Amino acid sequence: MSYQGKVLRVNLATGAHTIEPLHEKWARDYFGGKGLGIKYLYEELAPGVDPLSPENKLILMTGPFTGTVVPVSGKLGIITKSPATGTILDCSIGGHFAGELKFAGYDAVILEGKAPAPSFLYIEDGLVEVRDAADLWGQGAQDAELALRAKLSEEIKVLAIGPAGENLVTMSCITSELYRQAARGGVGAVMGSKNLKAVAVRGNGSVTVPDIHKFTALVKDFMRTDTLTDTNLWAFTDGTPMLVDLSQNTGILPTLNFQQGTFAAFENINSDSLKNVRAGKKGCLSCALGCGNYSKTGRASVEGPEYETLAIGGSNCGIEDLEAIIKFNDLCDNYGIDTISAGNVTAFAMELTEKGIKDFGLRFGDSEGYLHVPKLIAHKDGIGADLALGVKKLAQKYGGSEFAMHVKGLEFPGYEPRGSWGMGLAYATSDRGACHMRAWPVAEEAYGERDPFTIEGKAQLVMDLQHYNAVKFSLILCDFWALSLETMAQMLSAVLGREIREEDLSRAGERIVNLARQFNVREGFSKKEDNLPERIFKETLKTGATAGKLLPREEFERMLKEYYELRGWDENGSPSAQTLAKLGITG
Amino acid sequence: MALKLDSENCIGCRLCQLGCSAAKEGVFNPELARLRIVSVYDRSGLNIKSAVCTLCLACVAACPSGAISYENDRLSFREKECTDCGLCLEACPEGIIKARDHGVAVCDLCKGAPECVQWCPHNALTNGEVG
Repeated sequence: MSYQGKVLRVNLATGAHTIEPLHEKWARDYFGGKGLGIKYLYEELAPGVDPLSPENKLILMTGPFTGTVVPVSGKLGIITKSPATGTILDCSIGGHFAGELKFAGYDAVILEGKAPAPSFLYIEDGLVEVRDAADLWGQGAQDAELALRAKLSEEIKVLAIGPAGENLVTMSCITSELYRQAARGGVGAVMGSKNLKAVAVRGNGSVTVPDIHKFTALVKDFMRTDTLTDTNLWAFTDGTPMLVDLSQNTGILPTLNFQQGTFAAFENINSDSLKNVRAGKKGCLSCALGCGNYSKTGRASVEGPEYETLAIGGSNCGIEDLEAIIKFNDLCDNYGIDTISAGNVTAFAMELTEKGIKDFGLRFGDSEGYLHVPKLIAHKDGIGADLALGVKKLAQKYGGSEFAMHVKGLEFPGYEPRGSWGMGLAYATSDRGACHMRAWPVAEEAYGERDPFTIEGKAQLVMDLQHYNAVKFSLILCDFWALSLETMAQMLSAVLGREIREEDLSRAGERIVNLARQFNVREGFSKKEDNLPERIFKETLKTGATAGKLLPREEFERMLKEYYELRGWDENGSPSAQTLAKLGITG
Repeated sequence: MALKLDSENCIGCRLCQLGCSAAKEGVFNPELARLRIVSVYDRSGLNIKSAVCTLCLACVAACPSGAISYENDRLSFREKECTDCGLCLEACPEGIIKARDHGVAVCDLCKGAPECVQWCPHNALTNGEVG
């Protein structure tokens, strides 16, 4: 089996650690990454725990493919309870950390308690130490990583937070390899609340599989005939910026805080413009696709910007200057802030300002004001003290809730749901609030062949996509390889040495989605939070392919009702006892 | 023929190292691979450092027992002639000869079809003419 069979549990309050066997039954049912991380947290965390208290836990989880040649299996799952939403939160972060952790001999790390003083955790194979980080505290996430690499070794892999995480900003992220993030839901603040500046790991051990030569032959064939084909190679040639043109053409490019679905200056921020400033390509461990584009202009550089940043930090703020977006991205990465939430709250503040509701001194298209935002948020300084609240709480304080673009306190990603009605359902029902990674029906609606302006078949579509992604992020595979469940099953059977069928995987996906839902139900969530901002229901878009479109509330409600029925959830959105029993979820 | 990395095309995925260790050592472990790629960002940008066997033959020259030799255009290692003196490890300018419990691991180009080259997704790593 490709597991190491070991979970490292670290008590940050005492610095003590234990190594315990990986829970076999849970690993059989939930595999790794998202699913297994949620299972551990569900079992170990009492309901009602304050996400920023020492009682919350932060789980770093690898998967059965981590450290092998399976393409795009390099990501790490990070699981905790979100301080932004109060829901379950799982993020996945690219780079090489996950593989390094597994080579060090661990499938997972569970971080508990709060260190008495700023610290970092160092893991090198059997050596596990909570070390002093007084000199790193206050530094940017990138700066802290560079300092650790300079001090320890160029070979270590690092997860770090910036000042935003230290200051418990609920849109703070965890950064790795300078430009990769576990971005959403305030995962960085959970680290900050534990006085944990960074985790550094070095592994010298091996990952084994039952019949390695048979396995590598199988995977090599998949890589050549499946991964490296036109379906996926956009990730290499263009990366996510390719979506700018697609969204513009289909009228779903968020613009001016979701007031429009098209952006006049879209050509400034699209893939072609990014290619003009491309200075390198980088992938995660075992990634054959290498989506990372290193962009460099005269005054700014970053790996990225990804589509989400171009849309939410670009068109949605009315920013036409690509160099400004690159700079914004880099600042967010170093201060340790999620660009999606930061872009949204900036756009929201711009609209509040322009509508005369509250003057933040920010205007759509004003790149100078916009570039001050990351630092101000990270330090909760000046307007940053307000912006750090995030869109939901900012609206509660000053008004504008009808155009506060969030679900459950998590801000919208870069896809306008009025131009992809299934995406509206996906945002409303995602386990961590508005997220594009739980289901992405946009590919089939706005970008694809299905009618984006109907609810017909969308409940089923969203449910199926949620199952697919849940199991994919548990194995752990990156989004960008559009592989079949059958291919996943073949590779998984090979690494586990027992037969896994396609239907086992879809059932596991359903189990994971339901467990995540059950976690949220236990925290008090129900149908009333499965909602969208009023703007989506009441304001029509005015330009492009979505001109005249909104998502009628009654249609949304019908779609949601159908979704609950398909899932075997009651009218309030709780999984029925029968549904839970069918999936083997107890407690 | 010798290995050559075109760092312009390298995305730093290390599939080459994983494929090498799988084929040669029967495990996935980049440390045991007979080549090495480090692709990291620092403040100057993206830096790719690589170490592959260039067939410089410093190990052959350093080996006092003839355990490492150059035959059929590639390195060959005969374990029973190795005295574990470690001179080849010191001589290798790339630092990619690996010590084992007994003997060493040298890149033998997989006897003509290097695994690392087969795994490289974007033809950054090639087995081409020397020089």
